[in-house]
Amino acid sequence: MTLASPSEPSQLIPDPIKDSVISAKHLTKKFAGETAVQDVSFDVPRSSIFGFIGPSGSGKTTTIRLLTGVYTPTDGQVIVLDRNPAQFSQNERAHLGYMPQLFVLYPNLTVWENLNFAASLYGMGLFRGKRLKGALRFVELYEHRWKLARNISGGMLRRLSLAATLVHDPQLIFLDEPTAGIDPVLRRKFWDHFRELKNQGRTIFVTTQYVSEADNCDLVGVQNNGKLLLVDTPRGLRHHAYGGDMVDFRTAQPFDFQAENMLRSLPFVRAKTVRTGSDSMRIIVDRASTATPELMEWAQQQNIRVKAVEEYTPSFEDVFVELVRPEVSNG
Amino acid sequence: MGNFFRGMIRASSFFRKEIFEILRQPRLVATLVLGPFLILFIFGIGYRNQARALRTLFVTQPNSTLAQDIQQNKQSMGSWLIYAGVTGDQKEALDRLNRGQIDLVIVEPGDAYNTIKNNQQAIFTLYHHEIDPARVSFIDYFGQVYVNALNQLVLRSFAVQGQKDAVNLHTSLQEAHQNVSAMRQAVQSGDETLAQQKQQGLSSNVDAVSQAVGASLGLLDGMQQTKGVNGGNADPAQSTLTDLRQNTNQLNNSNSADKAERLARLDKIDKDITDLDGQLAEFQSIAPSIIVSPFHSETKSVANVQPSISDFFAPAVLALLLQHLAVTFAALSIVRERNVGTMELFRVSPLSAAEALFGKYISYMLFGGVIAAILSALLAFGLHVPMLGNWWYFALVIAAVLFTSLGIGFAISIVSQTDSQAVQYSMIILLASVFFSGFIMSLDMLLPPVRVISWLLPTTYGTLLLRDIALRGADPNWLLLGGLAAIGLVLMLISWRLMRRLISSSQ
Repeated sequence: MTLASPSEPSQLIPDPIKDSVISAKHLTKKFAGETAVQDVSFDVPRSSIFGFIGPSGSGKTTTIRLLTGVYTPTDGQVIVLDRNPAQFSQNERAHLGYMPQLFVLYPNLTVWENLNFAASLYGMGLFRGKRLKGALRFVELYEHRWKLARNISGGMLRRLSLAATLVHDPQLIFLDEPTAGIDPVLRRKFWDHFRELKNQGRTIFVTTQYVSEADNCDLVGVQNNGKLLLVDTPRGLRHHAYGGDMVDFRTAQPFDFQAENMLRSLPFVRAKTVRTGSDSMRIIVDRASTATPELMEWAQQQNIRVKAVEEYTPSFEDVFVELVRPEVSNG
Repeated sequence: MGNFFRGMIRASSFFRKEIFEILRQPRLVATLVLGPFLILFIFGIGYRNQARALRTLFVTQPNSTLAQDIQQNKQSMGSWLIYAGVTGDQKEALDRLNRGQIDLVIVEPGDAYNTIKNNQQAIFTLYHHEIDPARVSFIDYFGQVYVNALNQLVLRSFAVQGQKDAVNLHTSLQEAHQNVSAMRQAVQSGDETLAQQKQQGLSSNVDAVSQAVGASLGLLDGMQQTKGVNGGNADPAQSTLTDLRQNTNQLNNSNSADKAERLARLDKIDKDITDLDGQLAEFQSIAPSIIVSPFHSETKSVANVQPSISDFFAPAVLALLLQHLAVTFAALSIVRERNVGTMELFRVSPLSAAEALFGKYISYMLFGGVIAAILSALLAFGLHVPMLGNWWYFALVIAAVLFTSLGIGFAISIVSQTDSQAVQYSMIILLASVFFSGFIMSLDMLLPPVRVISWLLPTTYGTLLLRDIALRGADPNWLLLGGLAAIGLVLMLISWRLMRRLISSSQ
């Protein structure tokens, strides 16, 4: 079980994570009295994609900087690859890949020269040309390799940054909003590649403002106002947001108030159930897989002709809104 | 692959990056090379090694003797003075000066004769409208030269008069000589009456010489004393005259019966007359202008070449430019990494401060070296600036100047928060170098405590060392070169410490 807050245990993640690559305990970072990150704790298992989701200004970048050793925490502790990242040796740093939120390479160098610079920074050998070509082909920049960085689009700059992050084949990859400004097709390709990297044993810590991208992650942390609200699997997050799985229940005829009350009173149906039409309801249940046959059976007993019973998967935008709603109303 | 090799690869990433970034700015490179060359070229062509002539108006009574003298002697100041006329109205002259119609007003002393008679110097007042301290100093100097020329005119008239008087003295001395000869014969023949008569004539001649000889002998003695040819005698002519008078008096008082003593005395008097006449003849043979101004100076250098003004400035310009180039490039280098955000990337990467600095040092040293080589070649073969020394020593000094300047630049860069801050600091270093490095004025003109600033600037060392090598053909002063390198080394260590703090430690 991975916790956003000790008082809100999730049922969906094994506890403890034995082979964690990153372990953050009660991390707090303040700047001139202003709290950017407050009491954040989580673990990231090896060979996984850990998504860190939150709106702009929620403390995602600060957290990633705490994990990479750019910042030291005001309070709490962070262990990355079994070491305090502020004390990494040069060899240990060579296992990290870091893509900052903004393009930080050189506008007056070509795409190739920038990538070559990044490869040199990590001490890659002199025969690295093949590797550079591969990285550029992956981000679809190979044809643009002789263009100056100042003359390529914002999306291309993001792709170049990603190539520069991955070119030295790091074991632990930190990506700060890698898909910002990338078209949907390439974004999907990026995520495919991230999963491929994960399958090769790499661990990826990725922040994003695109809540929908949470589905691509093994674990997702939801951050808002510097606080980590929850860490769970994508499914676990949905479950947590609505109090259970969602099932859309549609009948052939409109069903009356009495039938609705009977449905609400079923033991596996949760209180958040809402009517979505004269002949349809969105029902919150403990588990969609077990609730569906039970609903069918109940309808048969009540002589209600069922048109469809299917699990509804809410978008992560909706999930995110649900998750941060209590936070917003509290504070 | 070993850690050392990886470190070299990391350092080389900066080497390539910096060089590529610079080469992507061809205009900058062209400006760096051609700019100083053209400045020196135009300066060499356009520099006039002479002061501007001053349009000068004299204030004196237009018909006075001095006005006439001014008219006659207006060429005496040569090209320094453009004669703008004589006026009796000082107010009008000063109005014209204020309107910029003239550059200088010289007001003659009101009552010069009486002032001098009262044992005081008469003062010429020079009014000008300059604010440039160098020009003011020139006008002070001009005033001294002008008054000196006037004083020489006065002395020259004394000398001319003295030489005229010497002609009369010669006549009197010839008469005295004849009287001595006649008296000697009279004493030997026992004609006492004739001897007494000639003795009286001789006394009259000596009295006349004594009264008339004063000014001429004073000038003659003064000249001999200054030349140091009098053999320890303070006033040789005056001394001869004194001897003549004493011998004449003793002759007058001598016993007429003592024939031998009188003849001996006459011999001495005759010798004094001959000496005195000879000295007067010498005085007459010297031109009055030489008497009043017996000395003149000529400068001759033992250096191997006599460089032109642009030759002289060329090594200093080279040193100053290289320092400024290195300081500015280095100053912008790290602050830009920080502003662009690459510093964050460096912190996460295995890059160490030493590797980053080493890469940057090497790239800028190479770039500065290439610029220096092109500029030196242009100066030597384009402007024909002499290169008498060893090119390798020249290159060594340039390397030391670049190395130390880069240290200053990196230190600036690490403490600067923005580009403009780094540029400001670089400009302050440039300004300090212009004033304190001996670029404009010699270090000797600065108070010793202020010279501490000079000895902190690479341009100071570069200028002295490059001038010695190029223009004197000397080997470098190893103490200076070592001092420069030591400063560079200290700055490198400071930069490394600061860079380490910047890259390695977390915030």
